[in-house]
Amino acid sequence: MAELILGIETSCDETAAAVVGDGHDVRSNIVSSQIDIHARYGGVVPEIASRAHVEMMMPVVAEAMVEAGVDKDDLAAIACTVGPGLIGSLLIGVSAAKSLALVWDKPFIAVNHLEAHLYASFLEEPDLELPVVVLLVSGGHTMLVLMEGHGNYRLLGQTLDDAAGEAYDKVARYLGLGYPGGPIIDKMAMDGDPEAVRFPRAMVKDGYDFSFSGLKTSVVNFVRKNPDVADVDIAASFQEAVVDVLLTKAKRAVHEYGAKGLCLAGGVAANSLLRERTLDLAMADGIEAFVPNRSMCTDNAAMVAAAGWWRMHSDGPAPLDQGASSSLRLPTYA
Amino acid sequence: MLILGIESATAQVGVALGSHEGVVASAHSSKDRRHAESITPMISFVCEQANVELTDISVVAVDIGPGLFTGLRVGIASAMAVAHGLGVPMIGVSSLDLGAFAASHSSRLIVPCYDARRGEVFSAHYRSVPGGVQRVSNPAVSTPDELAAELMALSEEILFLGNGAERYREHFEMISGIEFAGNGLWYPSARSLVELSHPKAMREEFVSPSEIEPLYIRLPDAEINWKVRDGRS
Ligand SMILES: [Zn+2]
Repeated sequence: MAELILGIETSCDETAAAVVGDGHDVRSNIVSSQIDIHARYGGVVPEIASRAHVEMMMPVVAEAMVEAGVDKDDLAAIACTVGPGLIGSLLIGVSAAKSLALVWDKPFIAVNHLEAHLYASFLEEPDLELPVVVLLVSGGHTMLVLMEGHGNYRLLGQTLDDAAGEAYDKVARYLGLGYPGGPIIDKMAMDGDPEAVRFPRAMVKDGYDFSFSGLKTSVVNFVRKNPDVADVDIAASFQEAVVDVLLTKAKRAVHEYGAKGLCLAGGVAANSLLRERTLDLAMADGIEAFVPNRSMCTDNAAMVAAAGWWRMHSDGPAPLDQGASSSLRLPTYA
Repeated sequence: MLILGIESATAQVGVALGSHEGVVASAHSSKDRRHAESITPMISFVCEQANVELTDISVVAVDIGPGLFTGLRVGIASAMAVAHGLGVPMIGVSSLDLGAFAASHSSRLIVPCYDARRGEVFSAHYRSVPGGVQRVSNPAVSTPDELAAELMALSEEILFLGNGAERYREHFEMISGIEFAGNGLWYPSARSLVELSHPKAMREEFVSPSEIEPLYIRLPDAEINWKVRDGRS
């Protein structure tokens, strides 16, 4: 019989719950997004996010159970994101998850949000052959991770300043396009010329770290000097530069470490150009590419339940005095 | 009728268990503000002490504030999940009601006052009535000076309590007829929550876990700023 895990995720602005069997069989995946609530402020407002989480937490859990057609007795464990993220938001999920674990007499599994993102690919490819390189890109993170085994990660590089998603938001804000920047720029770029402006590719040749703050600055400077260039061309050229840097390094990492494939993860992995170019790599360079469904890239609880299933088998349950940590790191070795 | 009470609106966090016999077990801590870490273990602890099973709980009562937002929500999220998990109803009680209830022996005007941070306090006025207290003003957030001016204007005998009363003591000391309660009343308690919820439970004044709403009183800063901006533009 499948081991069903109830996953709970409240690290940022999505209240999410999901039921997943054996780390890959998604029975339900409910996400209540707050994007519309935060849009008017041009970014996630922590206090507003926390208020929404309290309101949505139990309805989302109830819906995940109903849609999966399961009862508490069917669950093997309850897994919840304990960090990194907004502390006030994390604590709501952790508090609710621990209480459910207590009254339903289930093990409570503490999940690292970044590790959960790495598991998005396993939801669709449970037999994914390791090692793989994972390009984890979101509003808060940009990292290249070599996944050699379950729970066994090597951080190859990460951003030294802005996360890729943050660069999208900042450029969108500067151009007056609204929030969140990722999907807006992605859509505009479809009508623009990616060759219109050659924005700099910072550190593209050296190592695996990233830097996006210079790119944002050069977009701003360029637009100031060339106010007549169309926004769609700026958007397309900016996106081209971001994707170029991300994939040049990811591809090099795959070859250097002899990885079996490249996985995309994180909210920015919903970006159409990044997805398309990743699949192109597979065609041109013979690299196996795993591009999870968009809904598994952005924050969700199915990936939490998947990572939770692996953690349950490797580490076992966490104690009920478990707290949350806003700055939790991915457990890696050098 | 076994009631589990969860309270975490201020620097204190507490869990209590009670029935028609009164409070049968409780745990409180006011150190280090580790509310999220403490609540679940405290629930286990009080059940063990009272020798009851979690499934014996028939109602979950929770302090809905006002209070410090993050801690308050930790208690509410925990309580909602316990009630949802057990399939039992809830009772939501204001922190200020709890403070006043603990002082219900007094014939003075009872004014609980909790620290709201950023130079503000939460407060409301109560009168003792048979079996408890009755609120006679709306819960409010204000600066200590605003509250002091308001209390001064009442020219009444006042029993003033709570960690806000203590923290801003010098703002209120000159009010004639004011009496400061002892430190046993600095925080709303889970014991008071269970005691006050018992008659409500007998009257079946229940809400479902999805109907519990925190009493914030203060808007998020971003919304306040937005309103200011709206007003100008
Ligand atoms: Zn994320």
